[in-house]
Amino acid sequence: MLQCQDLSYAFPNSKVCFKDINLMTGRDEFVAVVGPTGTGKSTLLRVIAHLIPATSGRVLLDGREVMRPTSRIALIHQSIATFPWMTALDNVKLSLRRGEVDDDEATRISEKMLDLVELRGVEDEYPKEMSGGMRQKIAIARALAASPEVLLMDEPFVHLDELTASALREEIYELVFNPESSLKSAILVSHNLQEVVMLADRVYVMNGSPATMVDVVKIDLPRPRSPKDPHFFEYVESLFKDLNLRESKA
Amino acid sequence: MNPAIIGLATLATIARVFMLLGISVVSGWILAYGCIKSRKFETMFVPLTNALESIPVIGFLPIVLVVFVGNLGGGLGVEIAADFLVFDAVAWNIWIGAYQAFKTVPEHLLEVSDNYRFGFFGKLKDLYIPHSIPRLSSNLFASFADAFFYISVSEVFSVGIQSASGIVRQSYQVFGIGTLIAQFLQQSDFADVYISLGFIALAVIVATFGFIRFGQWAVARYGVDTTIQIRHGTGGLRGQLNQRYRWMSRYASRHLPKLRSHSVDDFATEPGLSLRQRIGKYLLISLAALISGYIVFTSIQVALGIGSAEWRSFLALTPFLLYSMATDYVRVGAVTLASLGLAVFAGYYLAVHHRAAAAIMPGVQAFAAFPAPAYFPLIFIATLPILENVLPTLYSEVYIFILGFLSCFYYVFFDFWIGVMGIPSEFWDVVDNHELGFFTKMRRVILPASFPYLITGLSSTINSAWAGIAIGEYWPKIDGSHNLIAGVGMMKFIGANLASGNIGAAAWVALLFAVVVVIYGLFFTRNLMDIARKKYVVEEGVFAA
Repeated sequence: MLQCQDLSYAFPNSKVCFKDINLMTGRDEFVAVVGPTGTGKSTLLRVIAHLIPATSGRVLLDGREVMRPTSRIALIHQSIATFPWMTALDNVKLSLRRGEVDDDEATRISEKMLDLVELRGVEDEYPKEMSGGMRQKIAIARALAASPEVLLMDEPFVHLDELTASALREEIYELVFNPESSLKSAILVSHNLQEVVMLADRVYVMNGSPATMVDVVKIDLPRPRSPKDPHFFEYVESLFKDLNLRESKA
Repeated sequence: MNPAIIGLATLATIARVFMLLGISVVSGWILAYGCIKSRKFETMFVPLTNALESIPVIGFLPIVLVVFVGNLGGGLGVEIAADFLVFDAVAWNIWIGAYQAFKTVPEHLLEVSDNYRFGFFGKLKDLYIPHSIPRLSSNLFASFADAFFYISVSEVFSVGIQSASGIVRQSYQVFGIGTLIAQFLQQSDFADVYISLGFIALAVIVATFGFIRFGQWAVARYGVDTTIQIRHGTGGLRGQLNQRYRWMSRYASRHLPKLRSHSVDDFATEPGLSLRQRIGKYLLISLAALISGYIVFTSIQVALGIGSAEWRSFLALTPFLLYSMATDYVRVGAVTLASLGLAVFAGYYLAVHHRAAAAIMPGVQAFAAFPAPAYFPLIFIATLPILENVLPTLYSEVYIFILGFLSCFYYVFFDFWIGVMGIPSEFWDVVDNHELGFFTKMRRVILPASFPYLITGLSSTINSAWAGIAIGEYWPKIDGSHNLIAGVGMMKFIGANLASGNIGAAAWVALLFAVVVVIYGLFFTRNLMDIARKKYVVEEGVFAA
């Protein structure tokens, strides 16, 4: 489905952020990327979405190289970006402004997405009047409204309370695996190892400077997963040790 | 003339301009702070600044002549008069920029500063001033350009004086490149005009690169999470300031509950002011009050000196003057629309194509700073035969439009450019990610995100268009033989009456104009700025993790 081949990125000041990244996510697959702070995980997502061009390497979506930003790959930022001059509904409708749907249909889809993220009833409110979590839900609804095939999530639940985050994780997970949904795959960047083990089929571990992909861990647990499962805990521990060990080596 | 003297005159002018830029920035910060602290002060400040900005350099001649030349007299009086005219070219735009920046400080940062009970200087130093630097950097561009644009009518000015033997033209001048160019033009010494323009070009290009570097640094350092990379380290005083500023932002985002904004403090009861700071503050206020009081007192004296017959003639003229003013507003509207169109399309292109901007912006800036009164006669001579043929009745309108456009397009152009560069990178990601078309992107994101900058730029463009139009409407013997004079126009009326020594009539129309501009300031700038503050603070759109 989505494939990164030998992806490298250097900042404008020539400092290499990461190099030779190979990552793959198949249809109906949930992939996570973990790594210490500053390894370039967020930058990697922006490069995958082609919001910044890779220094070398390429990204393939269904076998075709991604040459420009596309709404088929939607990114949800860590620092929540909502437009303060637009209502919640207008923020979501923004992703449907390409002229492919009429305004009524755009409103209907946007309301459905707001409903999905449990923001029904606040359509006419402005982001400024909302909490950080509610703003993030708007950003998620906006990304989903565009009917993406791949969803890139950069710490998307970090502003949410645990109850909301847990519910939203389930919603996103169901969307990825729902045959009627446009979503086919998701890549999650997170520091929350429990969240990663809960959602991911495969976990890529980034480390070093410049960062490289140092390990891939397949999470072989049946779904639905439970943190109370001893195997679940073992995976969390293993990832934690993996990160710690490699960080101390680095 | 000896090129060394021309070089020296250029340096004198540069020193004059930079000194007045400095005064404008410092006074702008203090006045802007006054505005956010007191609604009453703001109600007076905004329309008054608009009025002062709208009145062209020549509109200040009656005041300058009476207050500085007449009362103070001598070399000092003429120097202060010239400084006042240059100040008129640079200050208002910076004041409006500082006001706009102070009005749009994100609320969570205000709450942090209140929480830690920052005093008057603390708030200025660590919050308002850092926040205003990106916006002022764009205004400094424009103000510097404006100062040079009008340098040949600021450093040297003349007026008709009625005497027993008829009208005598009295000229006043200070040492500077503007004065030399005016002299060379008068003597048809075009070789020295070109040398002078060469010196100005050199000065302007060097200054332009300096301003551009400063603008990039300002946006990278003090803009909130822009796409521009910060190039320098965080050492030194600037680094510490920046660190503190960013820390405040992060701290507020993470830990502070969303509360309503702070209470309105009184200047006198602010916490954290030492005795020295209080004395300094009151000295500044007293000095400003003294200068303003002196100008007002002298103006009242002049008004009382006018006889009743003259007042009656002024009143009888008023309907015609209002018609002339309306005609000029149409001209200003045309110039503003053209400037806005250029700003939105070209400004946007340059903001997203950094390499093109690096190549083009210095040229635009240098061109904007070139004194049109010095080179425009050359354009006039080259184009008059064609335009007279093609537009026999309207050609003067074309020249007025060009002069108006040259005098003000860069305000909205530069402000919009800086505004677009300051849009957070997350917003660009969303726009790109959802493949928004050009017009959707403009309407939904770019224009709203740069709205405060656009208002500042538009306001200055509208206000400054008057100055270019004033030059174009009344320019006798522009090329030695032709007159460039508008059919109808308020600025033509002012120019013609100043030349014939009828200062009272010129002052009367300037007063009428000031009243109209005050109303415009109340209904346009302040209201739009309020909307910008409530709705279009782009920094509030990114909830930092």
